[in-house]
Parts: sequence; C-alpha cells; structure tokens
Amino acid sequence: METETSASLRQALLTDREHTMTRIYQRAFPLVRRYVQQHGGSAQDAQDIFQDAMVIFYEKAVADTFVLSSSVSTLLVGISRNRWRQELDRRARLPLTDLTNQPEPPAETPADEPASVPVLDYLARLGEKCQSLLLDFYYFQQPLDQIAAAHDYGSVRSATVQKFKCLERLRKSVRAAVATLAH
Amino acid sequence: MRPALDRLQYLEHHLLGRPTPAEAAQWQVQLLTDPNLAADAQTQVQLYQALREAGRQQLRHELRQIHAHLERTTRRRTWLQTATDHLSHLLGRR
Repeated sequence: METETSASLRQALLTDREHTMTRIYQRAFPLVRRYVQQHGGSAQDAQDIFQDAMVIFYEKAVADTFVLSSSVSTLLVGISRNRWRQELDRRARLPLTDLTNQPEPPAETPADEPASVPVLDYLARLGEKCQSLLLDFYYFQQPLDQIAAAHDYGSVRSATVQKFKCLERLRKSVRAAVATLAH
Repeated sequence: MRPALDRLQYLEHHLLGRPTPAEAAQWQVQLLTDPNLAADAQTQVQLYQALREAGRQQLRHELRQIHAHLERTTRRRTWLQTATDHLSHLLGRR
C-alpha cells in the first residue's frame, strides 16, 4: 500500500470501497490512536477523529485532481493530527463540551454552506434504489458504467436516465415543500 | 430523455461539469432571458449539497462498521494468541 499511486488508490476506492477502506483503516488507525492517546485523548476520541479524517481523505482521493505525495497512512495521520489539535483548542475554550456532542461535518467543510438537513429527509424517502444510485454517483463518484452494472441497468444510457429521474423526484419533493412553506 | 430530464442534465453540466467558454457565455445570456433558470440552478445546488451530506453519513456508517469488525477480529486473535501461548508453554515444559 505504501507504494500506491493516486490513480491506483482512486481505482481501488471506486471499485472496492469496503475492502480498500478496511485495509487503510487497519494500517493507519493504530498510529492515530497512539497519537491521540499520547496527546490527552481517549480511544473514542481517536476513533471519532480518525473517521473524520477518513471522510476528508475519501473526498480528496476520489477527486480527479488528487495527487498522493506521501503514503496513505502518513496522509491520514497528518489530517488526524490537525483535527485533534483543532479539537483540543475547541475543548480549551469549551472545557465541558464533549466531542460526541458536536455536529459531524469534517473540519475542511466550507463554513458558509447553507444547511441541507430538510432535503436529507426527502432523500431518505426516495427509497433504497434511488438513494443508492444518487449517492454512488454524486458522493462516492463511481463511474456510470460501474453503477449500471451494480444496479442491473442494461446500459450507461439507462443508468443516466434513471439517475435524472431520481434527481427529478427529489427535486419535486423539495420544491413542493418549499411552496408549502411559502404559503 | 424527457425535456424535464434534459433540463436537469443541462443544469448539471453547468454546475458540476466542465462547460466550454462558449457554453458558459451562452449560460450567462440564458440567465438573463430565462426567468426560472437561476432558481432552478439554486434548487439543484441544494440537492447536491444534501447528497454530499447524505454521502458523508453513509461513509461514517460504513467506517463504524469497519471499526467494529476490526475490533472483533483483534479480540478473537488476542484470545487465540493467549490460548496458543499457554499451550506452547505447557508443551515446552514436557
């Protein structure tokens, strides 16, 4: 894994996420746990921080522009150290607040994004198939040919049409809710 | 595709894709002439943000499962290691 290139890592994450994430987790988490525990944190803190780091890492690693300039473990330890330092600063300001009481977005999320929670409820109501198709494409960045094969669509074209149908359903629910709120 | 789906694809191309300079210029003109385009684009941006948030939740769920699985495996290995160490110790004494 240490000689992995950006392209092979991206490919592995896209085609076999569970196995690839497990391999990375197994290798990097003990390093992060040791660091966090040596710097005043608990095993639960280490788990929360590391999982934040994995989310940030995944989003970066599947992007076309990602360049892996160190080993994956080194990268994850670096992200985790930053997150833990931020968490310690936050706790120093709010000493009685627990990490687990905090909202989830990773630290590198732009702070000015509007809240999207109501839309999430409508997404959950779309049904398993539509939800999974939309997440595989828009979040997990899987290519449409892979999605077509995994979801038993006959072709990329048919997967594309289905994707837009699901998006349209989501959009209609949201617009209807917005219209109801406006009246 | 139906015209409504074509419109979503068109919006997506401008919001997530790589429109050419000519397409970008055309988009700017259309924003002035199509009264619904800006609002439609705004709604679509909202959907993409929600999908990203839902994706993060899904990924966190998968990570918690990986953690639990690895913890179970480690615990089993530790137990097995202890048992075999004990057995080796007993055999070594003979």
